[in-house]
Amino acid sequence: MSAIVGSAPYLYVCTRFRVRRMKLIPQEEYLRMLQMSLPEIIRLIQETEYKREIDELSHSFRGIDLIEVALSWNLAKTYQKVLEIMPEGLREMTESYLRRWDIQNVLAILRGKAQGLPPGKIKEVLIPAGELDRDYLDKIITCAEPGKVLESLKRWRLYPVLARELPRATESGSFSFLENELYKQFYHDILDETGAGIKGGKEFLEFLRLEIDIRNLQILFRLRVNGAKGEVVTFFIPGGTFTVEELVRLHETSSTDAFFDSLTAQLKNRELISLLGRFRQKNGLVPGALHEIENALTLMQYSRLEMMARYHSFSIWPILAYIERKKQEITNLRAITRGKQAGLSTEQIRNYLVM
Amino acid sequence: MALRDVKPTRSELINLKRKIRLSERGYNILKMKRDGLILEFFKVLDEAKTTRGALEEKYGKAVGMIALSNTVEGTLALKSAALSVKEIPTIQLKSKNIMGVVVPEISSSKVKKGLLERGYGLLGTTSVMDETASSYEDLVEAIIRSAEIETTMKKLLDEIESTKRRVNALEFKVIPELTEARDFIKMRLDEMEREELFRLKKIKARTKG
Repeated sequence: MSAIVGSAPYLYVCTRFRVRRMKLIPQEEYLRMLQMSLPEIIRLIQETEYKREIDELSHSFRGIDLIEVALSWNLAKTYQKVLEIMPEGLREMTESYLRRWDIQNVLAILRGKAQGLPPGKIKEVLIPAGELDRDYLDKIITCAEPGKVLESLKRWRLYPVLARELPRATESGSFSFLENELYKQFYHDILDETGAGIKGGKEFLEFLRLEIDIRNLQILFRLRVNGAKGEVVTFFIPGGTFTVEELVRLHETSSTDAFFDSLTAQLKNRELISLLGRFRQKNGLVPGALHEIENALTLMQYSRLEMMARYHSFSIWPILAYIERKKQEITNLRAITRGKQAGLSTEQIRNYLVM
Repeated sequence: MALRDVKPTRSELINLKRKIRLSERGYNILKMKRDGLILEFFKVLDEAKTTRGALEEKYGKAVGMIALSNTVEGTLALKSAALSVKEIPTIQLKSKNIMGVVVPEISSSKVKKGLLERGYGLLGTTSVMDETASSYEDLVEAIIRSAEIETTMKKLLDEIESTKRRVNALEFKVIPELTEARDFIKMRLDEMEREELFRLKKIKARTKG
């Protein structure tokens, strides 16, 4: 990755993103939306920057589906614009950070192809917010089978993992192992690329480690609650505070108290320790409480991102903070509309909002 | 059976008596079968009520979870994860006999899956997806169980209905008609006997005179 010389590019890009952040929906607006009826919310969304996508898609989708697809399209377009205005160096790193969307899209295409779905149906679930843009994905969708999809992704960064794991996935019919391997490689690459040459890069490395810890903890909790047995080693991401072997050992710990004790003994992040302590006292590890833990962990990650963006105002942080805040906005708007449509209570929807 | 069609002969009387005996025996057996089936039906009905209650509860939970999943993960992510499902649950259909009624015995496989067998990855999804998948697996299991019990119940009901019709037909139509015919023949034979006796007496009196 080429290093950025001087602070001018940062000043320009970070100022632009600061302005963009101002345009995002503030927290109090979500609280106001929670008190509105569904038609009022839809009307409000239509009056914001999502109008263009809603108008564009109104001939293909209806109702809440239209809103959800329009939100995703807007997210994809925003991220593509983010990449456009990024100077070299920062652009490559942001591309790496957004590659998780490519994984999601490629997997959706592969699964769709394996199930024999028509291209139109597969296209509906794609969110081209990563390196692989809409045109490229449209081209891949027309491939007849997973093997052809693989061929057309030869220039993709994660192609080697895909080429290695796809035959096994196609044979077994399960893409879960492939999905995990792609995400693991994604984290491996981004850890490799981050660091020197970018302002705030070293701190970002720490943040990535925290993200890996949080993802590993979320998986560890899910595996424990579901009583998963077998090759759990493949689900953990290397590169965090815990080694994969330590995580497997934690998973195998039979008593919940011993599990929490060993977990908190190894953690260094105070916030994480106190969060886990709260959950341990409250209700331990039960299926219903799992999402609460996941949500709290995600919130903790976001608050750290926000804090770092304030400390390092002209670095990679404000850009990443904007990317994540935009994703939060989409998630929250979708949660409010879908939740209202399903008749969930305001309190229930509020619990699932990332604020 | 119209009485005018009945031939008042002794052989017909013997025949009718045999038919009455057979009908009465059949009537008793069918009545016992009907009572037995009703007892079985009430047992199945209790079970059906329980399974239907469980089915409704599981359906409510599954609908709630899919709504929550749509809220948290979004329909697009949910659809994408749903594409991972490769192994479709299979059911095996056998039959068993309850008092002569053939009812289905349904067993299923590959319905309830472990977290690692569902086909979607853990790194791209959240626990809400697991709970949704699990509640739908529970629902499918409840549907299969309910299908077995409710089909059994319907088949038992059909059989009770047809047995009841047979019992009623025997009790109110076949046996009374046969008895009436038997009585008619008996009466006719008695009358014929009396006529014969009277005729003989007349002949005897004329011969003496």
